[in-house]
Order: sequence, then C-alpha cells, then structure tokens
Amino acid sequence: MRDISMILKSVWKSLFVFSAVTVMAVSTVSAQDAKEGRTLFRAKCSSCHALDAKLVGPALTGVSDRHSEEFLLKWIPNSQGMIAAGNPEAVKLFNENGKVAMTSFPELDEEKVKSILAYIKEGEPKAAVDPSVVKAGGGESGTSGLSIAGIVAIVLVGILILVILGRASKLLERLILQKQGIEIEEDVPLKVGVRKMFKNKKFVMFFILCLVIALGSWGWMGMWNTGVHTGYQPVQPIKFSHELHAGINQIDCQYCHNGAFKSKNATIPSLNVCMNCHKAVQARDNYDGEISPEIKKIYNALGYDPETQQYDKSKEKPMEWVRVHNLPDFAYFNHSQHVVVAEDAIRKAKGLQPTEPVCFACHGPVNTMEEIYQYSPLTMKWCINCHKETDISGQKNNAFYAKVIEAHEKIKKGEKVTPALLGGLECGKCHY
Amino acid sequence: MKGSTLAMNKNKFVYTAFLAIAFAATVSACKDKRSTGLEYARNMYDALALNPDQPVDTANKLLASFKGQAAQTPPANTKPVGFTEYDEFPNTKEGYEAAGVSMVNPLPVDTVNLAQGKHLFNVFCSPCHGEKGDGQGHLVKIEKFSGVPAYQTGASSRGGNMVDLTAGKIYHTITYGVNNMGSHASQITPTDRWKVVMYVQQLQKGQ
Repeated sequence: MRDISMILKSVWKSLFVFSAVTVMAVSTVSAQDAKEGRTLFRAKCSSCHALDAKLVGPALTGVSDRHSEEFLLKWIPNSQGMIAAGNPEAVKLFNENGKVAMTSFPELDEEKVKSILAYIKEGEPKAAVDPSVVKAGGGESGTSGLSIAGIVAIVLVGILILVILGRASKLLERLILQKQGIEIEEDVPLKVGVRKMFKNKKFVMFFILCLVIALGSWGWMGMWNTGVHTGYQPVQPIKFSHELHAGINQIDCQYCHNGAFKSKNATIPSLNVCMNCHKAVQARDNYDGEISPEIKKIYNALGYDPETQQYDKSKEKPMEWVRVHNLPDFAYFNHSQHVVVAEDAIRKAKGLQPTEPVCFACHGPVNTMEEIYQYSPLTMKWCINCHKETDISGQKNNAFYAKVIEAHEKIKKGEKVTPALLGGLECGKCHY
Repeated sequence: MKGSTLAMNKNKFVYTAFLAIAFAATVSACKDKRSTGLEYARNMYDALALNPDQPVDTANKLLASFKGQAAQTPPANTKPVGFTEYDEFPNTKEGYEAAGVSMVNPLPVDTVNLAQGKHLFNVFCSPCHGEKGDGQGHLVKIEKFSGVPAYQTGASSRGGNMVDLTAGKIYHTITYGVNNMGSHASQITPTDRWKVVMYVQQLQKGQ
C-alpha cells in the first residue's frame, strides 16, 4: 500500500516537473520570438507601420485577427506579387489603403514572419517604470526652490530665537535688579526712541550717507543693466526643450536653424521642419498612449489630422514664437559671417570642444537648456571685447584675409593699388 | 516754532527715504526672467522693416493683407531669385522613376563639393541615416526612430536595392520625402541637395 502511494507520488512529481519545464520552455520560446520579431519589425516594418497608429500603412495591432496566418505568411514577403496575381483578399487590402504598394520582403522567411507576428500579438514590452526616473525631470528645480525656502526658514527661526533669548535675559536682569532694590527706569516706547535718535545730527548724517550709497549703487547697476537682456527667458507657445532635441537627441543646431550658415538670420524653423520627425514621433509612451499635448499643438497649428494624415489648409495658423535675442535696429549682426568665416577663430578664442557647435560660443550650453534663455549680454561692450581679443592670425583658407594680404603685398612692392581692390566697388560703399 | 517745522520736515524726509529704500530693495530683488527688464528708448530697438518670424501689427492698414504674419508665401506666378523649378517631377511613383532616369548631378565630383556634401549630410541626414549611411544614426540607436534602410545593404521601399538608387531618385527623395522621412526642400537648397546626393552616392559604394 505504502509502495503504491510512493510510486503515485513520484509520478505526480515528475509529471508536475515535466509540465512546468514545458510551460517555461514554450513561454521562453515565444518571448524569444517576440524579441526577435521586435528587432525585425523595427528594421523592416516601422518606417511605414506602427502598432497602434496609422502611419503610411495601417496600424498592425490585431492584424492576426483580421487576416489568416496563411495569408500573412504569403503577403508580407511578396505583397506586390499577390496583387499582381489577383488574389481577392490582397487586392481588397491594396484598395482599402489608398493603393499604396507595400515593399516586398523576399528575405523574410516563414520563421521570421512568424516572430514578427508574435511581436505584434504581444505588443511593445512594457518598460518597468522607475518612479525615481520619472520624477527626476521636474524634481530638480523644485529642490533648489525648496532649499532656498529652507535657508530662509532657518534664518527666520534663528532671528526669532535670538529675540526670545534677548527678552528673557533682559527680564532676568530686571528681576535681579529688583531684588537688589534698585530703581528701574521704565522703557521708553519705540516711537519716541526712534524720534530721539533722529534728533541726533550725527546719526542722521550717517543714515543719509548710507541712503546715498544704497540708492546710488542701485541706480548705477540699474543703468548698466538697462536694455541688457541676459537671462531673458520668455514663455514660448510650445514647451520646446533644447535639452531634449539638441542634448539627448543630438540633432545639429543647423537642422532647424538652417539659416545660420547662409544668412544674417539664423531663422526660426517653420512647422514643416518639426513634422519631418513629429509625423512619426508622438511621445505616446509618456502620455498613456495619447499624443503628447505639446506635439498636438504643432498638429493644430498646421491643421494636421494624425488619424487621416491629411493637412487642412483652412485651419492653419502661425506659431507665434517669442523672440529671445533682440538686437536693436541700429546694430547689424550677421550669423553666417561669424559661424562660417570666423568659425575657427571663435572656437579657439572661446575654447570650444570639437564636439561642441560653434554656436555655443555666444548662445551658451544650449544642449542643457530645457527652456531657452539669453546667455550672453549682447551689448556693444561684449561685441567689442571679443573683436579686440580674438586672434585671427594664421587664417589660411580665408578669402577675405587673402585679399587684404594681396593688397598689402602690392603696396610693399610699390605697385598701383586702387579702391576697387579694397572693396571700393561694393554696392554698399555708395548705396545704403 | 521754527525748530519744530524743521524737525517735521526732517521726519518727513526720513520717512520718504525709508520708503525709497524699501522700493529699491523690492524692485532690484525680483529680477523677472520673463521680462526684458528696464529699457530706454525702445523705439530705437524696433525696426521699421518687418521683423522676420515675428507678428505684424494688425492695426496697420497698409499691411492688412499680411494678416498679422511677417513670413509670407510669394505671390502667385512669381518666383524668388535663384529658385529652381522642379515641377516636371511630381511627388508620385512616376515622377520618382522619371527623375531617376533623366536627372543627373550638374555638379562636378570634387573634394570641395564632397566636403560640403559631407557637412550637409552630417547635419540633415545622419541623425537617422548614420554618418556612414548604415541606417544606424543616433536617433535610431536611442530608439526614437526606426526602419531606416542602410545605403549599402538595404532594400528600397519603392523597389530595388538602396545601393542601386540613381542620383535623380535620391534627389527626388530629399525633395519630397518618402514614408516616414519628410521633405527637406525647405532646409536644403537645390544646389546643396546635389552636394548631398554626391556624398550619398559615395556612401553607397561604402567609401
């Protein structure tokens, strides 16, 4: 009897272990498939398809429910061949999606297509959300605000304690004096005391001197800072982060401000430049599957409907960015002159790293600015100082200096030098 | 009597001084980063000409047609100086194929053009396509973008291999975009586009 139960027990045990192992093996296989499928999906499919949004092609979540696996195994490697052969399901699908032909992928064999389908079925693996990471962004400014408040509170409490201690010691002194039977003068009220103080000519003199120094230095500083906008950080219509775009994503300044190397104006990008990426990048992961509200502002301004991917011209309205760097009308500054002609000299003068764009010389570390602000004072003194100190000797491939040197050589040799050689025929010499 | 009026005046003076200091302290203490601060002779700062990218005063009747906006599209039937027309190759599969057959790079292949092409490529293309054109740009590596074909090994979504794309096809793609890639016509001038094409064709050969 006992033997039978032992045998049964061991059978049960082995059965349990076997089934557990099988389940585990199967699940790892499918996880492996989905992982491989994700890699393949991102390499082959995602330029036209997303899981839960329509891009060039339809959203793919639930594609295994809409079509049989048999159909998909044929369709994905050779969709155009199927349409040409007149397969009714294939032709219907082609017509439903605006007759946009899908790329054929002969390199995707049955195994690979199956793993892609496994990935589509399982969906994007949910990244474990680390609350400390989520909070890190907003927390930083909060901490500094909090620490300032803390310091103020400590100072206030300190003053309070000093006042209380002072009062207490005064009270004790009085008590001691009273015990000794010494007559105490009553306290003069504060108002009378102050009035008495101001009867003292020396004190009034000192007070006025302090006043003159304080007001004078304040006025002096105020005048120096008049019209200087250093640190100016206006509220922009879209919470665009240069830290994210230029810092984390490492997009070159010129990608958006493409006028900087060509013209006077660095240019604010028009919204079609935003759409080069944000047609596809919608930051849905951070907003529970919804499009980011800031990216939606781009869509709204363009009259763009992310569902149909159509633009409605009648709904267009300009995006009113607030200009941060304002030069007065009487000052001329040309971006291209500085970043193309003078790039090397400026890099050397400001000690920029080779990885940093030359723009940082004046605009500061833009790749760390979550919200853009004016870094340099842009005053005349600031311009002049840089023009006084920057070393431009040894500028070999610089056409402007080559011209100057040519003129210089001619003068040395005693040859004829005309105003034309020195730019005397430039339109601006006479017409301005 | 005389002394008391003087004392009164002195008191008044002292009170005003106190107020002035308090005012000065308050004003100087809170520097508002949202404001440009104190300005003198503002009208010397504002240009009479329209400021690019900035709003236009809607009260100005002469500029009513601007509808408050300085950036304007050129009037109908006009074209800016140096503007290259590209109408004969529309944004269709046919236009793409036609451009591929009949367009050739007008610029000579030399080191200057290639160097400029490389700079432009690194600015405008490499964030996705990678500096070597292998489809592994920074944005692909950090998983912001995906599905970028490699020039040397990838397949084109419009048939054929990326390595076989002709200059005209690459130019057409930069001008109009394809799939998730947007049009870069507003950022890269036609001449610069040809420089990029030249450099891309070097990358196709893996050089």
